[in-house]
Amino acid sequence: MADITQATPGLLNRNGASANLAIVAGVELGSAILLRAFLLSDETAVIVALLALMGAIFAALQLRPVLEERIVAAFHDRKRFATLLGIVIVLACPFFLQGSGYAFHLLIVSMLYAVLALALNFQLGSANIPNFATGASYGIGAYTSALLALNFGVSFWLTLPVAAVVATAFGFLLGFPSMRTKESYLALVTIAFGIVAHQLLNNFDWTGGPNGLVGIPAPELFGHSFARPIEAFGFRLPSQANFYYLSAALVGLSIVSAKRLHESRVGLAWNALRADPLAARCQGIDVVWYKMLAFGVDAFLAAFAGTIYAFYVSYISPDNFTFLVSVTIMTMVIVGGMDNTLGVIIGAFFLTMLPEKLRIFSDYRLLFVGVVVILFLILRPQGLFPQRARNYGGKR
Amino acid sequence: MDALLAQHLLNWLVLGSIYTLIALGFSLLFGVLDVIHFSHGDVSMAAPFVALAAIQAVTAWAVPLTGTGALLLAILISMAAIGFLGVVLEWLVMRRFRAAPAMMALVATVALGTVIRELIRTLYPQGSNPKPFPAITTEVIRLGDIVVPVFSLIVIAVSISTVIALFALLNHTRVGVRIRAVAEDRAVARLMAIRPNRIFAVTFFIASAVGAVGAVFFVSHAGVVRFDYGVQLGLIGFSAAVIGGLGSMQGAILGSLLIAGIDTLVQIGVPDGASYRLVFIFALVIAVLVLKPSGILGKPVFEKV
Amino acid sequence: MTPLLEVRGLTIRFGGLVAVSEVDLALNPSEVLCIIGPNGAGKSTLFNMISGIYRPSAGTVHLDGRDITGWPAHRIAAAGVARTFQSSRLFNDLTLIDNVVIGMHTRTKSGVLDALLRPRRARAELEAAAEKAGELIRAISPDLHARRNTLAGALPQADRRRLEIARALASEPRVIMLDEPSSGMDDRDTDALMADVRRVMAERPGLSFLIIEHDMRLVAALPDRVAVIDYGRKIAEGDFAEVRLMPRVQEAYLGHKAAEHA
Repeated sequence: MADITQATPGLLNRNGASANLAIVAGVELGSAILLRAFLLSDETAVIVALLALMGAIFAALQLRPVLEERIVAAFHDRKRFATLLGIVIVLACPFFLQGSGYAFHLLIVSMLYAVLALALNFQLGSANIPNFATGASYGIGAYTSALLALNFGVSFWLTLPVAAVVATAFGFLLGFPSMRTKESYLALVTIAFGIVAHQLLNNFDWTGGPNGLVGIPAPELFGHSFARPIEAFGFRLPSQANFYYLSAALVGLSIVSAKRLHESRVGLAWNALRADPLAARCQGIDVVWYKMLAFGVDAFLAAFAGTIYAFYVSYISPDNFTFLVSVTIMTMVIVGGMDNTLGVIIGAFFLTMLPEKLRIFSDYRLLFVGVVVILFLILRPQGLFPQRARNYGGKR
Repeated sequence: MDALLAQHLLNWLVLGSIYTLIALGFSLLFGVLDVIHFSHGDVSMAAPFVALAAIQAVTAWAVPLTGTGALLLAILISMAAIGFLGVVLEWLVMRRFRAAPAMMALVATVALGTVIRELIRTLYPQGSNPKPFPAITTEVIRLGDIVVPVFSLIVIAVSISTVIALFALLNHTRVGVRIRAVAEDRAVARLMAIRPNRIFAVTFFIASAVGAVGAVFFVSHAGVVRFDYGVQLGLIGFSAAVIGGLGSMQGAILGSLLIAGIDTLVQIGVPDGASYRLVFIFALVIAVLVLKPSGILGKPVFEKV
Repeated sequence: MTPLLEVRGLTIRFGGLVAVSEVDLALNPSEVLCIIGPNGAGKSTLFNMISGIYRPSAGTVHLDGRDITGWPAHRIAAAGVARTFQSSRLFNDLTLIDNVVIGMHTRTKSGVLDALLRPRRARAELEAAAEKAGELIRAISPDLHARRNTLAGALPQADRRRLEIARALASEPRVIMLDEPSSGMDDRDTDALMADVRRVMAERPGLSFLIIEHDMRLVAALPDRVAVIDYGRKIAEGDFAEVRLMPRVQEAYLGHKAAEHA
């Protein structure tokens, strides 16, 4: 009864397990090395060369879809190994960053954006709801936890669930007017909500006004403060490493949630809702409930990201959570590939690191990113990694 | 009439006129594109910069021009320039997204807006700083106690003329009929030998030129311009078009007047109103869309089931 | 015997236009009722009211004695009324099998918490659904079954119809409503369609059919009874052989003068 996936079964049998192992290891380690090089280099020439290399790899995948299929097949075959190796690489990464605080910072911010993009993907990628207010959920999560910590001395770990609940409540609040509105009108409702939230945060005294909140204390875990460096295996990692692992854990949690939801009745209902809401209703799908759910799930994860951000930077202001931030997150989902977990993460990393690395072009970097996004959308509208068909049947 | 009340009414009408000019562009573009053209605000905001540059260029090369005449000439130049900019952008970028899914086109227009903004900022000398924009005229007319700035009259008059002209264009000219045909059903319009490329070009020209006027008035009213003013103006114009009902000219006007009304009321009535005006404006937007999801004058699309 | 589906005095007004007026229908278990009538008579609108897409302005709909008038579409689907659409509304960017699995939405129950916290159980339920969906597709055609992991958008017209029927059957309905299933089909496809419908009828004895049709071969062969709708009103009901001879019916289809010559 084992059902075989889209991938060509012949290839799997012919080349066997070891070839797949090699492919998986090669792809993961290769990507890690590439990423590290990109992160650590400072010279224009090197960065441009690396970008060109990435572009070339990508073009190769575009021109020879067989390559992409082969890689995907290999990963499917060796799923457990791929996951384990991935985890090992993520855990080991900090030891290879030459203690560069900046590299850590970029990674942490990229990971937080990856979480935000994954959160938005539930709405945008799975259910096609254009939510421009993700920045607001992010901000509400950050502010809630910061206020709890600053005013009531609540520990970071406790603020996490509270912030998530508060943001989710706001998410549902936003979901409510979105029920009967569609597309462009819905987009505007979310934009409006985001702006109102931003302005209120800006104006109220108890949120610190335009200056925001400062002095958010660092989290503590079993007596180890996150503000202190980590000493392990004879290495000394900068204090950012704490937040690196925390963010990585959150990314892991998000990936697992995304996968579980996507491959479930809920994910299917969202996809149906996206494809044809009327037909979906006639299959018994309560469209209102699933839309609300999408808003809630998005807000929940976004709040986690916001909380970690607040405690990492120890200072937040309304300008961290503007309309433009929401737009950036949306761009990550679309450029990365709607409803494709890996694509969305890569989109987030790409769009976070690129403007930072292009600091060399200083003044022109936003311009450059805008142009890149447009080119991207013209040349590869389905995104970096378009949605993959679900596979049923058989454990691997 | 009480002088103060008259002042407020005038303010409302001026603001409403400015927003109408922007909203009309959004509605017009939405009609043919079926997608919100997020960069419209930024494209329009390029106009004041072109006008400023034009004044400086002319002053440097030819007779130093001063006064209202010079400014008006510069504005006309900027209208034409931005109109053409709209056409170029359509040809260069938007054309590729005509058949694309809505989300794609939406993000493309947002990215385009960023590109325009950044181009203004980097190409105009010291673009990051706000620039003073001259008032078109500081003359006033006195009616008893009431002081009526001529500028206000100009803005209102121009807006009304534009609206009338646009209506006439859409309803009584061949071009107008073609635009409406493409807006209604692009595939069928093509079958009727209407060339969409031409219609898109015309529509973008008109929308951008009208937006240019709106932006120039906005900036003249405020006395200052900055490269990112287009974001807020665009958002407000877009909101006005939406709550009035996308694709409806009357809706654009109605929505603009509503938003301008709230804007003015908040600045008068609410303590520290200036900081909260966006809150009220967008709360209004949410309220309208909750009650009338397709906009006040919008027609809900009936799909054939 | 209470009819399985009972429609009484169903009426809907769109502004000033009365699209459907005072329609009565009764459908018994295992029965096949065909709705026929000229284009624009209001047949699809009738379907839309029964399935909950439109809210009737007046009248009632009862399913198994329960009043389902004005219920939202998803509740009516859950209650056991499935339907297809004139223009085959499949989920084009999902696979064939996904389409049919979604059809089972009302027969599965994993929610968001199940998916997140009990993935194994949620996944098992989905896999079981996929197996059943696979069988449903295989019953239509082994060829479709072989292609079940391809996207629905790529299917030719006839296959789209059949997939839609499979999706509708997936929810194990009591009543299945087919809206012009043979439209756009040639004779060969229509024959295949009739064979499919007969097979389904044999496999599911209690299932009742409500079919809107224009193809008279189908109308002559399949149903137990026929109801004729014209200008939103039911003008005749009964055995097809009798109904087709009624002058009022001929008038509706052919027009007044032509009917005189028919």
